[in-house]
Amino acid sequence: MNPPKDKKMTSIPITPESLQKKASPFQWQTILAFVILSTIYLVSWNDTEMSVGSLVDGWGHMRSYIVGNPEIEGSNFFPPSFILYDINRYLQAMYETIEMAIVALFLSIAVGFPLSLLASRNILKILIPGRSMSAKLLRRTMYSGAMLVANVFRSINEIVWALLFVSAVGLGPMAGILALAVHTAGVLCKLLAEGNEAIDPGPVEALTATGASFPKIIVYAVLPQTMPHFVSMVLYRFESDVRSASILGFVGAGGIGFYLFDKVRAFENADVTTIIIIIVVTVWLIDRLSAVIRKKFI
Amino acid sequence: MISLQSVNLGYSKKPILKDLTLRVGKGEFLGVIGLSGAGKSTLLMSIIGNIRVLQGSYQVFGYELDSISKMQIRQLRSQIGFIFQGYNLVDRLSVLNNVMSGMLKDIPLGRSMIKLYTRKELEKAHEYMQIVGIDQLAMKRCDELSGGQRQRVAIARALAQEPKIILADEPIAALDPKSAIQVMDVLRKVNETYGVTIISNLHHLDFARDYCSRIIGVASGSIVYDGSAHALKGRALEAIYENNSSTESRLDMDSIVDKIHDAVQKTPLKADDIELNELRVAA
Repeated sequence: MNPPKDKKMTSIPITPESLQKKASPFQWQTILAFVILSTIYLVSWNDTEMSVGSLVDGWGHMRSYIVGNPEIEGSNFFPPSFILYDINRYLQAMYETIEMAIVALFLSIAVGFPLSLLASRNILKILIPGRSMSAKLLRRTMYSGAMLVANVFRSINEIVWALLFVSAVGLGPMAGILALAVHTAGVLCKLLAEGNEAIDPGPVEALTATGASFPKIIVYAVLPQTMPHFVSMVLYRFESDVRSASILGFVGAGGIGFYLFDKVRAFENADVTTIIIIIVVTVWLIDRLSAVIRKKFI
Repeated sequence: MISLQSVNLGYSKKPILKDLTLRVGKGEFLGVIGLSGAGKSTLLMSIIGNIRVLQGSYQVFGYELDSISKMQIRQLRSQIGFIFQGYNLVDRLSVLNNVMSGMLKDIPLGRSMIKLYTRKELEKAHEYMQIVGIDQLAMKRCDELSGGQRQRVAIARALAQEPKIILADEPIAALDPKSAIQVMDVLRKVNETYGVTIISNLHHLDFARDYCSRIIGVASGSIVYDGSAHALKGRALEAIYENNSSTESRLDMDSIVDKIHDAVQKTPLKADDIELNELRVAA
């Protein structure tokens, strides 16, 4: 073994002068990238009619909205409403929202995980080995197919899915669950596929060499390696699902969103604050719980 | 068990290994030596059907590799254990589960999914872990073990396959000398206890001499030495460690020494000094 040769011998020898030029942070590529990014940002700012002035001018309106109209009872956001009967109803709705997220999460794993295996190039190579044209074509077809399905699932928002499912199964939590499940399956497919593609191929190679079948390789060589990533992503999506589920009620798909939407429309803003506090605290608790579970899965 | 007759091997049409003729019988402990890139690993991978046979007759357990079906290749592989330089264990699984993964072909799918094992399977696994001396670590996670211990887990996993042949691709290249000796001792024990044929790529001449009953020397894609360990000296060594792509027709001893040095330097093992001295004596 000879010492590795420099593949590209640079024509200009390195001297203090040339070094100053080469090591300068003001390379034309950097400047060009900066100009392009700034242009994109400024054009977008202009087209969307963003203006700091409007925000400053409108500050007073926001203040009076939060303070509320003194003539209408309950139109003030603060203090929040503390009627025990209402809080009880909201908590029950929040509980239902969490249940929706749990059912949706399991459905989305059931769909998203198998889909993520097809959306990982290295896993497809275990399923369909070989360098022949037909094997390559089959792999590519399955990969693109899985990606397409996942992209469709993912790029349509939960609210839009909920509208579609409400028209299919009627008002109520079921429509919300299905909407969350479909969207999350798409997201999980992409997230889990990234984890699958990052595994160490060694154990897979070892198990392939023993002649083990595909499902056994997944359980013994792939899953144990992706487990921390898997758990982390699933918990993150659970938290997102709870957040999303709390607005699906806007379109009649169950959960605490129904009350939130109702109270916003009725200008019963003290109740809106109460509901928001319940949602924020719940999401915070789930976040804490996730952190504890995640630690167990390193 | 393995029989090659004028075989060319490669990934594409261009052969990596040329004109190989070789027979390996039951219970042999075969060492394969040669410089990096000489084709040692390719030779090993070809035995489990990972490399295309471009020409000649290549038989393993009576299967003709040139025309082997996918079903047959799985059957073939299930009878061959493979040990890797980087162990290739699943770090997050216990030693037991890693060993069990060698037995997967005999465990029904349903039970393997939930990792539920029968008493008989556990007894077998225990026996193999005992042979390699890791039975007391059975419930530890593999990322808690040292390199030598991990390689022994890998050997136990290979044994769990109840293989006829164990192929070892640089099994000790990443180990310190003490662990390397332990691992080679275990391989010898496996060879003697179960009569398993062992074919191992080795960078270290010393280990090849001490442990192998027969040595194959590979240089520039062909077999240049095939014989006993003690007959390997002088001209035979030159042929193995001579780089054919260089234009020098005759290599002096120093350059051979340099080349062996380079080959050995890749690994953390400090045994090269002994090897070089021995080589000087041989010359």
